[in-house]
Amino acid sequence: MPAVPPRRPAGRFPKLGTRIVLFFVALLVIVQGVAAFLVIQANSQVARRTINEQLEQGERVFRQLLTQKQERLEQGAGILSADFAFRQAIASNDTGTILSVLRNHGARVGAKVMTLAALDNTVRADTLDPSRIGKPFAYPDLVNVARVEGKSSSIVLREGKLYQLVVVPVLAPEPIAWVGLAFEVDDAAAKDMHQLTGLEVTFASRVGAAEAWKLHASTLPADLRLELAAELASTTAFADGSGEVSLGGEEYETRLAALEERADKQVVAILQRPLAVGLAPFQRISAVFFWMTLAGLAVLVAGSLMIARGITRPVLRLADAARRVQQGDYTRHVDVEHRDEIGALAESFNHMLDGIVSREKEILRLAYEDALSGLPNRAMFYEQLGQAVRIARRGGDNISVMLLDMDRFKAINDTLGHTVGDQALREVGARVRAALRDSDIVARLGGDEFGVLLATGDKEHAPRVVAEKIHRALEQPLVVGGQSMDVAASIGIARFPEHGEDADALLRAADVAMYEAKRTKARYAIYNSSHDERRKEFLTLLGELRHAVDAGELELHFQPKVTLAGERTTSVEALVRWRHPKKGLVPPGDFIPFAEQTGYIGEITRWVLRRAIEQCGRWQLNGSRVRMCVNISARDLRQGEELVQFVSACLAEAELAAGMLCLEITESALMEDPAIAQSTLRRLRELGVATSIDDYGTGYSSLAYIKQLAVNELKIDRGFVAGMEADQRNAAIVRSTIELGHNLGLTVVAEGVETEHELAQLRRFGCDAAQGYLFARPMSAPAFERWLSGLRDETGARAGVA
Amino acid sequence: MDREFIPYLTVLQTGTTASFPNRDPILHHIYSFSPAKTFEIKLYTGKSPSSVTFDKPGIVTLGCNIHDWMIAYVLVVSTPWFGKTDASGTVKLRDLPPGSYALHAWHPQQREAAEPVTVAAEGPATATARFRMDIAPRKPKYKPPLDRLKY
Repeated sequence: MPAVPPRRPAGRFPKLGTRIVLFFVALLVIVQGVAAFLVIQANSQVARRTINEQLEQGERVFRQLLTQKQERLEQGAGILSADFAFRQAIASNDTGTILSVLRNHGARVGAKVMTLAALDNTVRADTLDPSRIGKPFAYPDLVNVARVEGKSSSIVLREGKLYQLVVVPVLAPEPIAWVGLAFEVDDAAAKDMHQLTGLEVTFASRVGAAEAWKLHASTLPADLRLELAAELASTTAFADGSGEVSLGGEEYETRLAALEERADKQVVAILQRPLAVGLAPFQRISAVFFWMTLAGLAVLVAGSLMIARGITRPVLRLADAARRVQQGDYTRHVDVEHRDEIGALAESFNHMLDGIVSREKEILRLAYEDALSGLPNRAMFYEQLGQAVRIARRGGDNISVMLLDMDRFKAINDTLGHTVGDQALREVGARVRAALRDSDIVARLGGDEFGVLLATGDKEHAPRVVAEKIHRALEQPLVVGGQSMDVAASIGIARFPEHGEDADALLRAADVAMYEAKRTKARYAIYNSSHDERRKEFLTLLGELRHAVDAGELELHFQPKVTLAGERTTSVEALVRWRHPKKGLVPPGDFIPFAEQTGYIGEITRWVLRRAIEQCGRWQLNGSRVRMCVNISARDLRQGEELVQFVSACLAEAELAAGMLCLEITESALMEDPAIAQSTLRRLRELGVATSIDDYGTGYSSLAYIKQLAVNELKIDRGFVAGMEADQRNAAIVRSTIELGHNLGLTVVAEGVETEHELAQLRRFGCDAAQGYLFARPMSAPAFERWLSGLRDETGARAGVA
Repeated sequence: MDREFIPYLTVLQTGTTASFPNRDPILHHIYSFSPAKTFEIKLYTGKSPSSVTFDKPGIVTLGCNIHDWMIAYVLVVSTPWFGKTDASGTVKLRDLPPGSYALHAWHPQQREAAEPVTVAAEGPATATARFRMDIAPRKPKYKPPLDRLKY
């Protein structure tokens, strides 16, 4: 089984705090350690120096004391030797008397041994050793000095003991003898010295440099004396008179003060002071230092723990917050407790959080909202449709999808600019939205296409009602940028579950229905499976149309306009036909609207214009002067000067007068872009080309507007003409239109005249010309030529009537 | 007087009795521990309360027990013919019967005794002897100044 690596709990950083504490503790320990080392070093040096100084000073004091003591002893001895009774006793020459006076007076001054020597240096009396009597006095040097100085003294060794020996003469008044007073250098003497100098004092002697030191008196306890003796014997130190000696586990700074320095006799005072005494104050400092370090350490640990926690706690909190953000929870802010760097970080973090939240919202909004209209976008619509489908599927409900496409919207964009177009789209979106219930969804799917999703549970008729509502909402002209414009929309409707099982299928169905609505110029269409066939057909046709011009599949048919006054054919309308290789002749209604949508209409129009003008030219050469009428679309009209130039070029090529050409424009095309239409028409008029308004009566244009347009002719829509017989109101419209047209100075032509009755009425109304099956169907050029010649043959008779 | 013995050196023949009048206003305590004559005259002033007979020849060193610097010598000789030199170091001995004499010289600060000189005395003639002596300079002890207070 593979070992599972230890997982650190997410977001926990226990080491940071520990590291901070350890760092500070280590820092303090190192700093204090180095400081302690240096302080101890310095202290030790200072203590040694201090002790040494004390020893030096002690030695000076010691020597001073020694001298004072010697002087005191000498003085005492002098006074003693000058005592009359003493002198008398000495002079008595009686040994017993002399011995007793020596003892008596020696006790007075504290001398341990008294010796009397005659002037010839022989011992006369000795209080300690009678055997010395008669022998030479052991210290002739002292006598010699005393003879000159009146006194002398020295440290002497006598029978293993150390004495301070003072020699003075006995004066009567000349010296008659020498008296030696020996004061023992004992522990009491050492103690006296100790009390005055504060030093440990030990007296030692040796009788030669190679001999061992002998200790005579000391302030040290007995055991330490032995140690000292051993130290003195073993060590080679004290060459310079000072050094360190360890006694009883304690260090002593030691100094040897030479009292007698002779080859056969060396007497020293060993002055000592424990190092600990010198170190004591420093040890107190060291102790304080140590405790302060401990206290500092405690404070530091506590403080750094607090700081560490002060850092790690907010950091951990930030880490927690960051993890929440990672998990997608943006709602909880981090509490900002302190105004420090961490606080600033937390604040930045909160700002970041807010930023993320608002950006996420913005991203969501951008992802699901159409920026232009503020409506949901295609993605949102698609998602909601999918969701609605799922819910409906579970609940067995119906839902309806509508696709709404603006008619001729591209014209608005192309002519008025995108700003106006965008505003128009916004307005349309708002109107559609306002027309629906809140539970319905309106989305802009792109371009001029909108989608509507009707909530579940709708009755079957609901989509129709909604479509009508939408149409009513769009009936009122839009006013954008001070311009009023008419808009219309084609609506395709698809229903779940009949027309599609999922969102894609439903959208496709609605799309097909929408195109069907466009094709049939209906306000709306509900999807029907037959639409699919037609649409497929249509798409194929559209593809084929693209090469129809090049392949020469298009041909022109001509339908005459006949003047009612003399029943003469003065003009002819050129109509395009598509001779499909398989389907035969395709009527213009099946491909022209889509050519307009795809923009291919431009090609077709140019082809028609060139061919029609050529044909007109040929007929003119053959002696048939008929004006050629060509339909042009709104899109063509929008080309403006380009169209004018093209027409001009074609006329020039065919050597045809401009007046022989009439361009027919539908009323609705004129209404799409009145400004452009107006200027283009004026340019054509200037060229000399005649212009005609086709399908008049369908475009809601006012006569005032027509008046501004530079047109020559009105063509009354066949709908009115065909309806004249059935409805008197149509007849009234036709009549008034003719009258108004005449009032405006326009020629009025009636379209779609099929019966004699219609013709008779039109004559009565004073219509100028008519066009229709009553006179002739559209026909090929040769057929038209024949028809025309037949008409010529039978002047006044109607030809080609079916 | 003036807290000094006067004279510093006195030569006497054996058996001579001498007194030590004190002309100082203060007391003196004369003593001698010399083997030739040991005596003391305790604190006195004016006329000496007792006189001393120097019955043995020898050097008697006189001191004062209360004034350590005071010192004087009495040389007791066993001959009637003796003398003390003057400042020039000369002494004359007169009226000596003819004969041969041993002549001794002594000085308190002499480093060693001079050898005696034998001199022949005949009639009125004068004999001269000469001594060469090694003499240490006299080192007077410290003498405190006189107390000016009178009482």
